[in-house]
Amino acid sequence: MSFSFDYLIQGFAIALTWQNLFWALMGCLIGTLVGVLPGIGPASGIAILLPMTTVLPPTSAIIMMAAIYYGAMYGGSTTAIVVNIPGEASSVPTAIDGYEMAKQGKAGPALGICAISSFVAGTLGLVGLTFFAPLLADVAVVFGPPEYFALMFMALTLIISLSGRALLKGVISMAIGLMTALIGQDPLTGAARLTFGFPKLLAGIDFISVIVGLFAISEVMINVELKITAISQKITNWMPSWADIKQCTGAMLRSTAVGFFLGLLPGVTPSVTTFVAYDLEKRVSKHPERFGKGAIEGVAAPEGANNATSSAGFVPLFSFGIPTAPSMAVLLGGLMMYGLQPGPMLFRENPEFVWAVIASMYIGNVMLIILNLPLVGMWARICVIPFYILGPLIVFCAVLGTYSIRFLAFDVWVMLLFGVIGYFMRKLGYPVAPMVLATVIAQMIETSLGQTLLISQGSLLILFTRPISAVFMGLAFLSIARGIWLQVRLKPPEVALEEDD
Amino acid sequence: MKTLKPVDIVAGCFLALLGLFLLYASSMIRVGVERALSPRAFPSAIGFLILVCGIGLAVKAWRFRGEDPVIHWPDHGGLKIILVSLILLASYIALMKPLGLPLSTFLYVTCSIWYLKPEKWVTAIVTGLVVGIVSYVVFIELLQLSFPMGFLFEG
Repeated sequence: MSFSFDYLIQGFAIALTWQNLFWALMGCLIGTLVGVLPGIGPASGIAILLPMTTVLPPTSAIIMMAAIYYGAMYGGSTTAIVVNIPGEASSVPTAIDGYEMAKQGKAGPALGICAISSFVAGTLGLVGLTFFAPLLADVAVVFGPPEYFALMFMALTLIISLSGRALLKGVISMAIGLMTALIGQDPLTGAARLTFGFPKLLAGIDFISVIVGLFAISEVMINVELKITAISQKITNWMPSWADIKQCTGAMLRSTAVGFFLGLLPGVTPSVTTFVAYDLEKRVSKHPERFGKGAIEGVAAPEGANNATSSAGFVPLFSFGIPTAPSMAVLLGGLMMYGLQPGPMLFRENPEFVWAVIASMYIGNVMLIILNLPLVGMWARICVIPFYILGPLIVFCAVLGTYSIRFLAFDVWVMLLFGVIGYFMRKLGYPVAPMVLATVIAQMIETSLGQTLLISQGSLLILFTRPISAVFMGLAFLSIARGIWLQVRLKPPEVALEEDD
Repeated sequence: MKTLKPVDIVAGCFLALLGLFLLYASSMIRVGVERALSPRAFPSAIGFLILVCGIGLAVKAWRFRGEDPVIHWPDHGGLKIILVSLILLASYIALMKPLGLPLSTFLYVTCSIWYLKPEKWVTAIVTGLVVGIVSYVVFIELLQLSFPMGFLFEG
């Protein structure tokens, strides 16, 4: 099924109903808030709210969840610019020049250009999603279990290899994630696995508990050690001048291309593409010496890449059912919770759903620029809510979200346990992303491997004899080789970059 | 253990033991009818992977010669805050069933804010009350989710 305007128009018809518009607006508001507030990222924001959306129809729920994700990309820059505290790792490059601009009294235009760049890149990224996703879904229709297994294997290896120096710790993180997901009954045989005689473990460990713990609780633990400074300036002039916008046009377009095409690859999260876009802009600039001292292109570029990457992440999610980042893994979990299996058949079996979600993203982008430009001062003030209030509120939301998955206190204890694990992982330089992705796709990997072995009568060679799976396996081994080469070349002990998405 | 090297050695040994334990636990899984992929296969493979990675991490850290990165552990005050915050959270989870969601939420939010900023006790009580009431109105009354109500309400 290739792209058709009829489907997109039908999608708009569904997305423009009052109910869906309302949930998209709620998602945009919550997403911006999640992005603005330090101590809570999009992955934990979506994970916390996901179980509470069960009262909504699937389309409205996913429209809202998606809006939270791309809304968070808009809001993430606010704390970076106003108080020099990047809410997410992806906002670090924005803070470099954004905070410098704020110190020069130009916080308003910096925040304004962020919103405009986010809108331009987000919308162009959506155009890419609209055309690429159905195209790739057509390709994915011929995928069988070997191709899916190879694709997921490649996704895991790419994510681990992007752990940089912490390759071994990335593998450990993934292995612990897989181990966690295997606890409970084997879906095919019903055999109890790794339950150690505890009946409560028979139902398995829900991945939402793991994600909320790893992100929200551990972030709160890290944040109680920090003190956030108060905002010192009132933002009145929030609109960048035409000259500023003209100056940033090239940066916006280049960062869109960088963010979108790199964002199609598993593991390439906004925290990677924003740095690449910032670096590229500095290289092509006629005045690279201004970067780091308040260059407005240095703000526009990472913000553009951030939003283009978030749109691009939906392409592999919808076409192959492969999440490229922790937030996408949570969204995948959300889709599965509603009985929707992302992948090529999603476009065939639920076209009204998938096109409504894509159409809602166009609408959401318009909502976000309206919310972000005039209200930028309000968001900037929210970002300095003292942590002694914010922390307990985040924990309250986390407990509520986790408990409402299955209404079991056990899940909340698991969340607490993974909060502590996540805290130590951050302190000791273990990347969190491989664990999250492994937890979500473990079941799919095992099932597709089981089916592959059934087809091949027990031989793994099938993965290398079918052309598509052979390409994926080849890429997977290349990324493993690259990771090992990095290990040999870089001598320091294993420390992962601080990450979120 | 203020630097990464000794911590990595200990973590590597712990992971190797975990890997061994997983291998043992995997061997205890009942197989039943023979299938292309036994229910033991994946857990065993992961156990083996954790064992190898654990040994690798410990050996790599042991052999490392160079400037050992410092771990930014919290100071005494920070550690106390984290521990008390965790105890408060654990109490919140434990008390949710007997006290119910609204009351336990009120107590958790109030105590947490109070602990983190003792001079803001009025803010603590007001925020706790607001969040407790919101949790009742939105999640129990409006959305009708099955949260525990506690002995006071269930009487």
